[in-house]
Amino acid sequence: MNLIRIKKVFYQNDTLFIFILMLLLSGVVTDNFFTVNNISNLIRQSAPIGLISMGMLLVILIGGIDLSVGSVVAMIGVAFSLLSYEVYFPVAVILSIALGALVGALSGYLIAFKKMASFIATLAMMTMVRGVGYLLSKGAPVSVGSHSSDILVLGAGDFLGIPYAAFLLLIVFVILFVLLKYNVLGRIILAIGSNEEAVRLSGIAVKRTKFMVYVICSILTALGALLIVGRTGVGTPNIGIGLELDAIAAVVIGGASLFGGRGSVLNTLLGVFILSMIGNVMNLLDITSYLQQIIKGMIIIVAVLFQKNN
Amino acid sequence: MFELRNISKSYGGVHALKDVSMTAEPGKIHALLGENGAGKSTLMKILSGAVQKDSGAIYIDGIERDLSSPKKAKNEGISIIYQEFSLVPELTVAENIYLNQLGETFWINWNELYKKADGVVKSLGFSLDVKRKVASLSVAEQQIVEIAKALVSELKLLILDEPSDVLGPREVRILYQTLEKLKERGVAIIYISHHLQEILEISDSVTVLRDGKAVSTVKNEGLTGDKLIAMMLGKVLNRPKRTTPALSSEAKVFRVSGIGLSPSFTEIAFEVRTGEILGIAGLVGSGRTELLRAIFGADTMPKKQLYFNHRSFNSTTPKKSVEWGIAMVPEDRKKQGGFLTQSLRNNISIARFDEVANRLGFIHKAKETSRVTGLTDRLKVKCASIDAPLGSLSGGNQQKVILAKWMNSGADIFLIDEPTRGVDVGARSQIYDILFELADSGKVLIIVSSDLEELITIADRIVVMKNGSIRGEVGKDDFSEEQLLRLAIEEKEI
Repeated sequence: MNLIRIKKVFYQNDTLFIFILMLLLSGVVTDNFFTVNNISNLIRQSAPIGLISMGMLLVILIGGIDLSVGSVVAMIGVAFSLLSYEVYFPVAVILSIALGALVGALSGYLIAFKKMASFIATLAMMTMVRGVGYLLSKGAPVSVGSHSSDILVLGAGDFLGIPYAAFLLLIVFVILFVLLKYNVLGRIILAIGSNEEAVRLSGIAVKRTKFMVYVICSILTALGALLIVGRTGVGTPNIGIGLELDAIAAVVIGGASLFGGRGSVLNTLLGVFILSMIGNVMNLLDITSYLQQIIKGMIIIVAVLFQKNN
Repeated sequence: MFELRNISKSYGGVHALKDVSMTAEPGKIHALLGENGAGKSTLMKILSGAVQKDSGAIYIDGIERDLSSPKKAKNEGISIIYQEFSLVPELTVAENIYLNQLGETFWINWNELYKKADGVVKSLGFSLDVKRKVASLSVAEQQIVEIAKALVSELKLLILDEPSDVLGPREVRILYQTLEKLKERGVAIIYISHHLQEILEISDSVTVLRDGKAVSTVKNEGLTGDKLIAMMLGKVLNRPKRTTPALSSEAKVFRVSGIGLSPSFTEIAFEVRTGEILGIAGLVGSGRTELLRAIFGADTMPKKQLYFNHRSFNSTTPKKSVEWGIAMVPEDRKKQGGFLTQSLRNNISIARFDEVANRLGFIHKAKETSRVTGLTDRLKVKCASIDAPLGSLSGGNQQKVILAKWMNSGADIFLIDEPTRGVDVGARSQIYDILFELADSGKVLIIVSSDLEELITIADRIVVMKNGSIRGEVGKDDFSEEQLLRLAIEEKEI
């Protein structure tokens, strides 16, 4: 009887258990995992992909997919770096986010109003936006200019030893958590993923909601891009290749259904940390990056198989 | 000889078939007749291996056989042709005919394939260029290809599900000729149809199904359309009755006009008063569902004109309709009505949040809980909690939740398509009670149902549709299933 109850608790929180398991494993197999430096580094590394994955989660919740996020990261990085020579920090930030929103608006328009498959629309956006990034930067990385060096503080600084990036991640997390749990928009997003036609026949503006979700995803992606620029000090046009797959992997490890309607922000973030811990530990263990890719893929398969069997 | 003995099948506690027995003899056409939902399709799916029976046995030439998969049924020589053909449009006639055998050899001898396919088509008495793509064929020609496809493996029993529905009168003749050829070959044929004339013309014997039971099996000797109708109807349990309230002077009128479901037929127009339940009868495909969807704006209908409460409007989208106080309960609960993976809470709140949420859209959970539980209690929804997923409820309770959604939205006009589909008998009367309560509280109810008895029970007035237009209207005093069925089925005005 007790065993059944334990099993149930375990299955309901499987992502959390995998996360804890990974945490313990990381502590055991390495000497320097649980150091302030490593943990703060881990959070700094995870924050951008964390923001992007949460955006991806919203898209996946409505039964869509956004393949353009990696390209958006590159283009926004380049755009911000170029802007940083021209305008002051807050203006550059606002313009960068607006540019991100524009990309999302375009994908959202094609998908929601022109009924294009999200896979196709965002695939096209992926190559276009990547091209824009290369065009703007003429193919070379662009360092951050003097007007907006504040970005470096955002990327590398901390408050009470906690990186600013962690605060940003936390704020977005709380907003999305509340949105999905206590807000009408969140309810509608979940319902669209569950049965889009039924939402339409309930008299709800489905198209507008879908459009908004793609805009939100791209805005979060732009925020992630800014964190990356802040950490590295450069906007790189060839960064973020394959990033969309990492984000999708994090969402899936977080137990979301790729058909939509099911998923949680908390589990998505745990998924992000599980993935980055795998990378982090293997780096600490000096495992070559080629082998890392293989192991990462295997862990994704195991994690998802495990959830499937529940 | 094919014998079905005491076949039963239920879906989630609802009997689709109960103790049904019938036989099909070689070289004979056996017709299967019944209203929508009488169990015809389920029975044939069991015979062709697509659905598993709960109990009963199938005998072929006196030996019990296991037909638990389509492949096993195929091996026994059983083929079924559905209304929706299972042909591959982009392949040629010959490829389609031999589709199941194409993978058996590594190389395909195309010349031989074409020759063989040509032979099969000719043996049915037709000539068709077997190199043509199926997509370029007429519906009747495609049907011949389907039959030819069934013939290339050993064929002992051919089941045709409403085969003439997709055909014109001349094409039906072609079908009859083909069936004659098959009879000569000693193939047993089960012919599902609701066209009485057809059945009288071609069948050797008829089995009538009603409410999942085989009512009778008769030889086609001295049969008449009237006799068949009488068999299809029968009488079952008494259902709750509502006395139509006298129309009060305060009753408002909901008027619909300008709906053209098919360019060649007259436009649809009618009116309903608040407190009145209008039933819409007709066969599947008569345009009943399309009519409701057009009123609701689920499909665009440019010339539509609605009038309610002294105002004219034309709501072109579901969103606008809901703002005008119109609600629609669709016939397909799973695909269009509810969110099976979502909580009852979300299912009920979704059409109207403004009572429980502030202007920024944040939901006051306690308010929502009391509102939602108020409705689930009132409608007697059986559920673990309002946070349980809709999919965990029985069909009847799911339907109550969908009704609760629209009651929560404050709708005035309820368009309800098949109110009790997939709902068991017990919950049915509860749903009728809800519908009566809605009408008594001054709502407009327009209800589509395939179940004539249901309509007679709940409606105050019934209009009958056929081919996308209204065939007639029957007042409460003149309700009879016979009258309704005649209007829905027969070709000529009575």
